[in-house]
Amino acid sequence: MALVEIRDVHKTFGKVEVLKGVSLDVEEGEIVTIIGRSGSGKSTLLRCINALESVDSGDIRVEGQKVHAGMPDLKKFRQRVGIVFQAFNLFPHLKVERNITLAPLLTGRIDKAKARALAEDVLTRVGLADKIDAWPEQLSGGQQQRVAIARCLAMSPHLMLFDEVTSALDPELVGEVLKVMEAMAKQGMTMILVTHEMGFARNVANRIVFMHQGRVWEQGPPAKLFANPETPELASFIASAK
Amino acid sequence: MRSFSLIDFVSLFAALRWTIALVVLALAFGAPLALGLALGRISRFAGLRWAMAACIQVIQSVPLLGLLFFFYFGMPVFLGIQVPALVAVTVAYTLYTAAFLGEIWRGGLEAVKQAQWEAGACLGLSAWQQFRHIIAPQALRLSLPPTVGFLVQLIKGTSLASILGFVELARAGQVVSAATFQPLLTYALVAAIYFALCLPLTLWSRSLEARLDGSR
Repeated sequence: MALVEIRDVHKTFGKVEVLKGVSLDVEEGEIVTIIGRSGSGKSTLLRCINALESVDSGDIRVEGQKVHAGMPDLKKFRQRVGIVFQAFNLFPHLKVERNITLAPLLTGRIDKAKARALAEDVLTRVGLADKIDAWPEQLSGGQQQRVAIARCLAMSPHLMLFDEVTSALDPELVGEVLKVMEAMAKQGMTMILVTHEMGFARNVANRIVFMHQGRVWEQGPPAKLFANPETPELASFIASAK
Repeated sequence: MRSFSLIDFVSLFAALRWTIALVVLALAFGAPLALGLALGRISRFAGLRWAMAACIQVIQSVPLLGLLFFFYFGMPVFLGIQVPALVAVTVAYTLYTAAFLGEIWRGGLEAVKQAQWEAGACLGLSAWQQFRHIIAPQALRLSLPPTVGFLVQLIKGTSLASILGFVELARAGQVVSAATFQPLLTYALVAAIYFALCLPLTLWSRSLEARLDGSR
């Protein structure tokens, strides 16, 4: 059984059908990168996997559990599925340590005595152990995004979703975030990423999924997909992304 | 006629207790109601949002004097209910406070980005935990200056309670002025007392704002 099973998912916003029957499986430990033009439904699909949006029809299952906004264990489910956003969404009124430990403490995952050690541990993994007492706005965009990743890691998720996490960053800050994600990939974390970083997609992902007009248009291993795109849409997308 | 003496000075300060009592009553009952109105205004239930907006609109549109008149003089006529003056002013000031603070706090809550709720939800927090630990602290900082601004308005607004017989600071000023024929001195004193009451609030709000804004 795949960790994530997506079957014929449809999603409409107003009159616009954003997802037109998406099916996709993601195995445990796999790194899947979703690419495609703006408006192709990539981010919506990611948000549906975390029940931030509910699907109109079709079926999404994570670890065998059917995902929807009204699911009984939604809070527990979201502790297992971390999501990192383009805009970081750190809590500006809390220091880095508290940003990280707030959810583990409130959900009873850890007690107060172990909170700082947990924050130190995940911050070390993203290379920011020295920023534990900083305020979010004292950090650069790349550092804030790494704290956001650390905040997710503190919940020990089984699956991580990344929604264009480098798109809001200055070019020189992209690398540090990608490096953290690469390290997570090496440790076996199951990851689904929506990204415009073609280099990262090519080098780190096990599989590339090209979405076009609300559908999975083409998918396969990066080497094959980038070298021999089967559809003119993917060929033109790759050409334009270069 | 007699000259302005210590006893007049004392009677002005004695009247201050009503001013303060009215403010305390208005806040004690009005603030929880305001929080309810603010939460209702940002609720996901459209019916509740409209109901709360309508309540606020009605109360804000009626002058405070009108509210005081209605609950003291109007209720016996229209509803056949006579309430003691203290109850009438408490209800009027409570509603007045709830409507204005409710809107101020709604603005503060809505000024916190929707993505902050989302970020909390994605970490597995309940709606209450998101509100309590993520949204409310940020909204509080944003709402503080207008909240204190309203508090100052409320303090001065208590002078209207004199029409129902409350000898609060402004009414006491009238009485002293009539007895001493020294309106300039008396009202200058009254103004100074109001100022002395409001200034610390403004200063306190500024320091609190700076303290809550630890990130800067």
